[in-house]
Amino acid sequence: MTSVMVVDDDQDLAEMLGIVLNGVGIEVDLVSRGDEVLEVFRNNPPDLVLLDIMLPGLDGIEVCKEIRKHSMRVPIVMLTAKSDTHDIVRGLEAGADDYMVKPFKPSELVARIRTRLRRTGGESSSTLTIGDLAIDIVEHTVTRAGKEIPLTRLEFDLLVSLAKEPGRVFTREALLGEVWGYRHSTDTRLVNVHIQRLRAKIEHDSENPTIIGTVRGIGYRAGALGNRS
Amino acid sequence: MKITQYFRTSLFRKVFSVSSIISIALIYFLGSNLYNRISDGIIEEKISAAISEGEAAIQYADYRFLIGSLNKNTDYKTIVDEIVKSTNVSAKASGREIALLSSTGKRLARIPSRSTSNFLEPSSIPSELRQLVKEDDEIHWQRTNLRYFNGESVAGVAVGHRIDIKSVGRYEMYVLFDFASQQQTIDLMGRSMWGTGLILMALIMVIASVVLRQVIKPVRYAAEVAEQLSAGDLLKRMQVKGSDEVARLGTAFNDMADTLAKQITRLENLSRLQQRFVSDVSHELRTPLTTIRMASDVIFAARERFDPTIARSAELLLSQIDRFEELLTDLLEVSRFDAQVATLSLSKIDLVQLVNRCVEDLAMDAKQRDVKIRIDVPEDEVLIDGDSRRIERIMRNLLGNAIDHAEGNPVDLTVKAGSSAVSLAVRDYGVGIATHHLERVFDRFWRADPSRSRIRGGTGLGLSIAREDANLHGGDIKLWSELGAGAQFVLTLPLTQGQPITEVPIGELPTH
Repeated sequence: MTSVMVVDDDQDLAEMLGIVLNGVGIEVDLVSRGDEVLEVFRNNPPDLVLLDIMLPGLDGIEVCKEIRKHSMRVPIVMLTAKSDTHDIVRGLEAGADDYMVKPFKPSELVARIRTRLRRTGGESSSTLTIGDLAIDIVEHTVTRAGKEIPLTRLEFDLLVSLAKEPGRVFTREALLGEVWGYRHSTDTRLVNVHIQRLRAKIEHDSENPTIIGTVRGIGYRAGALGNRS
Repeated sequence: MKITQYFRTSLFRKVFSVSSIISIALIYFLGSNLYNRISDGIIEEKISAAISEGEAAIQYADYRFLIGSLNKNTDYKTIVDEIVKSTNVSAKASGREIALLSSTGKRLARIPSRSTSNFLEPSSIPSELRQLVKEDDEIHWQRTNLRYFNGESVAGVAVGHRIDIKSVGRYEMYVLFDFASQQQTIDLMGRSMWGTGLILMALIMVIASVVLRQVIKPVRYAAEVAEQLSAGDLLKRMQVKGSDEVARLGTAFNDMADTLAKQITRLENLSRLQQRFVSDVSHELRTPLTTIRMASDVIFAARERFDPTIARSAELLLSQIDRFEELLTDLLEVSRFDAQVATLSLSKIDLVQLVNRCVEDLAMDAKQRDVKIRIDVPEDEVLIDGDSRRIERIMRNLLGNAIDHAEGNPVDLTVKAGSSAVSLAVRDYGVGIATHHLERVFDRFWRADPSRSRIRGGTGLGLSIAREDANLHGGDIKLWSELGAGAQFVLTLPLTQGQPITEVPIGELPTH
């Protein structure tokens, strides 16, 4: 059974989240303080973390960083009451994969959780290469010269999406659909922040990317040759 | 033009040149006045001396002729020579010349009709003077030029009297004095006055520039500080030294700057506080709203198990939560516009694609109201710099409004691109808006007819936000409407951010 850790200081909201998620067959672990997260996380590692930004003890951004130190794999979805760019970008930079602005529809939340837990698979080939990177889709690993590069699941998905069709230019909207499962969303911050994070991990020089190129005014593509600017 | 500009832009140049011109004029006026007075005085002195000396010489000559006439054998020529030539010796020193002229013009008793000393031309004596001398027995004088046969000429005065020589006839005797030495004195005085004048001028200019600099320097400094302050450096203050007028200016300026800075800070704090408050309120509202939404969703999902009234209540609850949420979002957006913290998240977007998507999303609403949407958009993409979230919001709002008010008539949607801008026109053939209400359409929470029931919810903030969104892009929304004829809203956006819109592809007046 899938288990989700819900970190929110609002007891009622947390309980409601529990009811909704239990209803769709997801087990829920409730944590109300930021400084308690890591202990619970270690004892009972969840499949996904729902994380409120405003938390007593330790704020959500810091909690996010701590979790990422501990686990690269677990997807983190932030819950925020503020739609201001600043907090969201900070959260994404701290390692969150996605965010939801309160108030959200329960169905939306469930869909988002499912997307994040979905396993990339069903591909014809189980390995891909892009630049000097080897991607093993079955094992979910990226290696350079035999050495594994730790990526979050979302970063992995993002890289695979681009690497599956090298040379194809993906618009940010297309990536949002493919990787995040958004329809019609145009929040380019999500894409931009994660591309930056991914580049920092896989590029030799993230200022001059050679694996993921920017096509100015349009989007990104795997392989930076040609008309990048 | 250039010269006036040169003087207008600098207080120093202006004051310096004006004071220089005035002092030059004053020095010139005073100097020439003084020069004239003194030289006139010198010449007058000489003339009065000349008159008395001339009179004496004439009396002596008269006497000589009288003596001579007593002797029958008198050689008048000798007497004349003696009188005329006597001056020759000391002529240059005394500057005196003698002329003895016959009144009749004829030579009488060996006395030449014209005899002069030192080759003086007889024409040196003005004819008016001769006329006066001939007429009576008085001494007469007149200023004239002493001319010589060799062409020399010098200013002077002629003093004359007639002389009747017994048994010979009438002659006139003139004694002429030149002003050579007086002229020398006058020239010397003139030169030294010029010199003094020039030195005085230079001194005045130096003093003026020194004083001016002293006065203007603090003024320039004050101007610089004021410019920096107005450029936004609110902490800039003038340094105040002493307690003169400049110091008072400085103190007053600093006080003004303090008051300004205080007011600005106060207003900034106030606006920040208000923005914070709205943001906090909305934040505080969002968490319980999320719980309410989820709870009502769970109830709504189970509504089939309830009796009809409770089931209907669950439906109403959910739809009103939607509305509440929309209102909250819009309020927050409005507060961002009011606090001027709304920013564009720009990217290249295809307006045609956006329009199609919007129409697709609203197709259900349109179908429910039996409204047909007729689209006229360019075949090619229309790329503009824009914030897709905001532009989509504008489109949804305009199209949604049109569908709401179309009353079953079709809605026309037209996109047309120009060289600098693109327009999107949404035309409906519904009830329309009364002319006197047109101005208020974009007002917050304004409703054309409050008593009319609304089919779609709407927060009453939609058009107001749409216009703010358009303005944020540097574009705007124009409206035409007539009661009973429907309405046309035209959104115009610049193709490139920062470029002015030179022509509007679609005007607000509908073509049909």
